[in-house]
Amino acid sequence: MKSKPKSDAVGIRDCMKSNVISISETATLREAAAIFVKKHIGILPVVDKNNKLVGVVGLSDLLNLELPDFVRFIEDLDFVHDFGAVETTRPTAKILDKPIKSLMKEAVTVEEDCGLLRAYALMLQHNLHDMPVISKSRELAGIASRVDVGASILSAWEKGE
Amino acid sequence: MNVAALLSSLIFVATLVLIFTEKINRMIVSFAGGMLMVTAGQVLHFYEMESAIEAIDFETLGLLMGMMIIVAMLEPTGFFQYLAVLAARASKGKPMRLFVLLGIVTTLLSMFLDNVTTVVLIAPITLLICEILGVSAIPYLMTEALLSNTGGVATLVGDPPNVLIGSAAGFSFNDFLVHSLPIVAVAWLGALLLLRYLFKKELSKRPRSVRAVMKLNPAQSLNEPETAKKILIVLGAAILLFFVHHLLDVEPAFVALGAAAVAMLWVQPDVHEVLKKIEWSVLVFFGALFVMVGGLEKAGVLESIIGLFRGASSVNPILFGVCLIWVVASLSAVVDNIPITIALIPVIHGFGEAGMNVTPLWWALAFGAGFGGNGTIIGSTANIIVVTLSEKTRTPITAALWMRRGLPVMLAACVIASILYTIFYNWF
Repeated sequence: MKSKPKSDAVGIRDCMKSNVISISETATLREAAAIFVKKHIGILPVVDKNNKLVGVVGLSDLLNLELPDFVRFIEDLDFVHDFGAVETTRPTAKILDKPIKSLMKEAVTVEEDCGLLRAYALMLQHNLHDMPVISKSRELAGIASRVDVGASILSAWEKGE
Repeated sequence: MNVAALLSSLIFVATLVLIFTEKINRMIVSFAGGMLMVTAGQVLHFYEMESAIEAIDFETLGLLMGMMIIVAMLEPTGFFQYLAVLAARASKGKPMRLFVLLGIVTTLLSMFLDNVTTVVLIAPITLLICEILGVSAIPYLMTEALLSNTGGVATLVGDPPNVLIGSAAGFSFNDFLVHSLPIVAVAWLGALLLLRYLFKKELSKRPRSVRAVMKLNPAQSLNEPETAKKILIVLGAAILLFFVHHLLDVEPAFVALGAAAVAMLWVQPDVHEVLKKIEWSVLVFFGALFVMVGGLEKAGVLESIIGLFRGASSVNPILFGVCLIWVVASLSAVVDNIPITIALIPVIHGFGEAGMNVTPLWWALAFGAGFGGNGTIIGSTANIIVVTLSEKTRTPITAALWMRRGLPVMLAACVIASILYTIFYNWF
């Protein structure tokens, strides 16, 4: 999980983390939650048995399972000083044992040779904090955060390029 | 029947069928139907554009539009949310008390404002109260829609069919208070008690967190208190004027549009936002249906109907009225009650021309159209709104559940209305 920004970075390959934590497409939501807790990460790429990326699950996707329904309907929650009963509500075992595929979303990805500005623009447009990087054969090659990409772009400024 | 009468009847019936099948938006169908009626009229020389415009009942449209403007301005102030929070705190988190209080708030609002807006604004805050309290929102949401439909029948401005009936029969705001309100009050109470019984299992569960409800801050839930105050003053004045509009010799539409004008001058809202919230599709839908009925009249169809009813005055009028309540209610449970009302208005006028005392029939039509909407999910827009909202939550309201809870309410209200209609027939 160690990022490796290079001063002469020109592509996402040079700033991505290549030791990526991923989850098998046959796993359950409960297993995914355990990985999020253990690794303190925000996004979990889902791969098939050949390590090909099939989708992603975000920490927020799992948290949405517990978020009360009213949050989506009431614009301003300032007057609600206590969430009461919903503070202690947990998803049922039936929900947690659902396959990860039930929550998985299609991943916005870039290939290893993608330029940094293009990668940053895509993350901005899709409101992503982390983005999986794939090889030509769609295998998961790495993951890059906005900070990884942004810092690499700014490093060129120091050199006055 | 001549060619014009046959063709115009065909256009009208085909349009109604298309509206009822709900395959295409009702406004589009009625608009196209109205234009087809005018085209047929121009080709066969029985109906011109000028007559079509004259056929539109601007009294109905003006009343609806005036009230829509006021509600559109009141909506963003958070006033509806504020009332629901007050009700929740007053209930002290007791489910049965909350159930009754939210029912009363929704009913009172929908007696003077559009049912749909009332339910759209009360349902999300109801969901919030129920979730933090730790109880199922289903009984509360369903009851709000059912009581809003029931309560709306009480006043001239409570329900679109009432606006139509009021205009067609020349009933004043007070006529509704004298003739409809007492029956609706009994039917409403019956509906509330029945719902309490039907939901007794859900309502007897102890809530998990009463403390959270008591911590809701009503003042903070009101987004724009100053604006809300201004609009409520204008709305209050409009309601007072509704009571005396016939004494002042002004139409309800004049009161509603005048109130809308005063409210807009006083608040000076973002006009685009207000206009966006007005249900133009409903207004166009009404206008188009009026154009079609105007075509039927010019083609001589209504005269033929009146001819058919020549012998109607010999029918027992009480039995006739009760039958009308049930037929209209059954139809309204499965199809839109606005076209049913518009289609029946000339028929009732026909009975009047044939010598029957039709004043009680107008009330029978109002009860049937209003109470019938409770029978199924698709019976009224308020029902569709709470069901659609619940479908986006973890506990959706199903059609089967509506049949078990809503249908008995419709039947009970119709039974109560039929009994009171029979006993107090001379009152109508």
